[in-house]
Amino acid sequence: MPPMPALLVSLAVILLSELSPPGIVHAAARPPRTRNTPRQALTIIVNKSNPVENLSFAELRKIFLGERSRWPNGHRVIVAMMEPGYAERKTILRDVYRMTETEYRDYFLQGTYTGDIPASPKTLSSPAILRKFVFNAPGAIGYLLASDVDASVRVVRIDGRLPSDVEYKLQIDSD
Amino acid sequence: MNKQRTEPTTAGVLKIRASLSRILRTPNSALLLLVVLGVEAGLGLLVIGDLLTAYGQVRQIYAGSMQGLRRIGELQYDAQETRRSTLYALTTEDGNLQVEYADQSREADHRVSEGIAEYLVQARRPRDIEVGKRLANDWSAYLRVRDDVLGLILESSLKEAVHVDLTSGVSLFDRVRRDLEEVNRLYDEQASQQLILVTDTSRRSVLKLIGGFAFALLFGSAAVWAIQRNKMHSEMQLARLQMDFVASVSHELRTPIAAILCAGENVKDGFARAREDLVEQGSIIVDQAEQLAELVDQVLLFAATTAKPRYALGPVQVSEIIAMALRNTAALLEKSGFTVEQQTQQGLPQALGDLSAISRCLQNLIVNAVKYDAGKHRIGVAAKLADSVTHRKEIRISVQDSGPGISSSDLPRIFEPFYRSPRVVAAQIHGTGLGLSIAKSIIEAVGGRLSVVSEAGVGSTFTVHLPVAEEDRHAGAVRSTANLEDLQREGEYTLVDHEQP
Repeated sequence: MPPMPALLVSLAVILLSELSPPGIVHAAARPPRTRNTPRQALTIIVNKSNPVENLSFAELRKIFLGERSRWPNGHRVIVAMMEPGYAERKTILRDVYRMTETEYRDYFLQGTYTGDIPASPKTLSSPAILRKFVFNAPGAIGYLLASDVDASVRVVRIDGRLPSDVEYKLQIDSD
Repeated sequence: MNKQRTEPTTAGVLKIRASLSRILRTPNSALLLLVVLGVEAGLGLLVIGDLLTAYGQVRQIYAGSMQGLRRIGELQYDAQETRRSTLYALTTEDGNLQVEYADQSREADHRVSEGIAEYLVQARRPRDIEVGKRLANDWSAYLRVRDDVLGLILESSLKEAVHVDLTSGVSLFDRVRRDLEEVNRLYDEQASQQLILVTDTSRRSVLKLIGGFAFALLFGSAAVWAIQRNKMHSEMQLARLQMDFVASVSHELRTPIAAILCAGENVKDGFARAREDLVEQGSIIVDQAEQLAELVDQVLLFAATTAKPRYALGPVQVSEIIAMALRNTAALLEKSGFTVEQQTQQGLPQALGDLSAISRCLQNLIVNAVKYDAGKHRIGVAAKLADSVTHRKEIRISVQDSGPGISSSDLPRIFEPFYRSPRVVAAQIHGTGLGLSIAKSIIEAVGGRLSVVSEAGVGSTFTVHLPVAEEDRHAGAVRSTANLEDLQREGEYTLVDHEQP
């Protein structure tokens, strides 16, 4: 990635942050939470208006990599990611993106700059905010621990399996 | 006795006058005061009720208006907050902030939705309901667009979000704004109508107040005028009666005095020298002197009865009463050539009263019967037991004459002191007009009653009604079927207890 475009993108992000209305604390400024999570399944969630009920793991990877831009209902796909430091994010990076944090950042900087990727994932500061984001955005897709899921969002099967199934692929390692 | 006869009658007349004035004045004044107070109290309660109602209505209007306007103001603010928060989400790429703005927008829209639902529940008038339903529909339509806009913003489709908001959101929100303004106007309209109602109530209260005071003033004035007129009339009547009384007494005094003087001069001048002439002249002097003494007795007795005398009440044999009365009038009856037909029921119980007082009353009735006889020279005296008007047993002693009867116009007035019928005066029947008044006073003072029945050309029957005295064998005390305590309180007499050993 050339240094100038990367610099411009960084500058744009800083400017957008400065344009935020006063009185609201920037959520990204808060230190990321770390949770001592035992081994458990990572649930993939979508907006309740989303008709998709099942995804193959390959389709899931394409969606997260920004290679698929629209849902069958026409809504734009928007990926919701946790902030760095969360075990859920580590699992997604490891199992779905198969990238490190640096590779992930570079991948989307390059993709958005070249226009190959229409929109980079939204980074959200907590599971609750991520859940609300998915609830509000019809085209959103994200991930949560099963214990953080409620009725405001819908769980998607991966390869026909639910997180409670034994052969469910997305499992968080307790490290 | 001589001393009593020489007491001036002026004191008695003054007492009568004072009593009459008090009777005429006191009850009417008290009644007037009660009526005026009652009217004023009723009016006051009415006006206080109206004022409380008006105050309650004003408070209700104030509270309703303030609450309604505040609620509408909150709704307007929250509606703006819903839209403002949605649009804030456009200003940032930060997903966390966008979620916060979305939360704010949804919280505000919940408050608006609840407010609209509350308004619809409270709406009563058709216009309020219609506007409320329209507002609810417009708000729902706007929220659907708002959800789309929020979703597009969060999906980073900013251009589409702005397009949707401009094409649908702006116009829908404008309709919501107009609906809220109309709700606000309806609140104002309702408050104005209620204010008109309060004004009407207050006006009615003022009219009631003025009307009531005017009525009280007019009524009071009329009553005072009536009382004054009545009082003046009574005083004039009393003065006339007093003048009649003086004239009558003067006449009654002068006649025997003239006769006595004449007889005395006849003896002194030697016109009566023979023994028979001297006896005749002496008889004239004695008769006229007795008549004079009788007249003075009547006047004194009247004065005494008007001063609430105390009588010694006790059981009295009816036959004893009649016997005493006939004994005291025997000379008159014999001299006038009257026969007395007496009818007394066998086994009559004892009457409650004062023997000499009742006998005196009966004497007056007998003397009257003699005085106003139409030439038949017959008097009926009867006694019997009968039911009183209160369904108690009473003793009735009646004196029936054979006179010309009393005219219906005179009948209501014959017991008034000093009253003498014009017909009697014209017939030159001497009298003071006190006999019946005295009889009535005596009987009422001992707890009895005096009544009269008269028929023109047939005669009159005066009846003395007396309570029956019953002997309580267990206690040995004598009691009356009448309420003696009441009688004592009213008549100020003493109950004499005749206990047998």
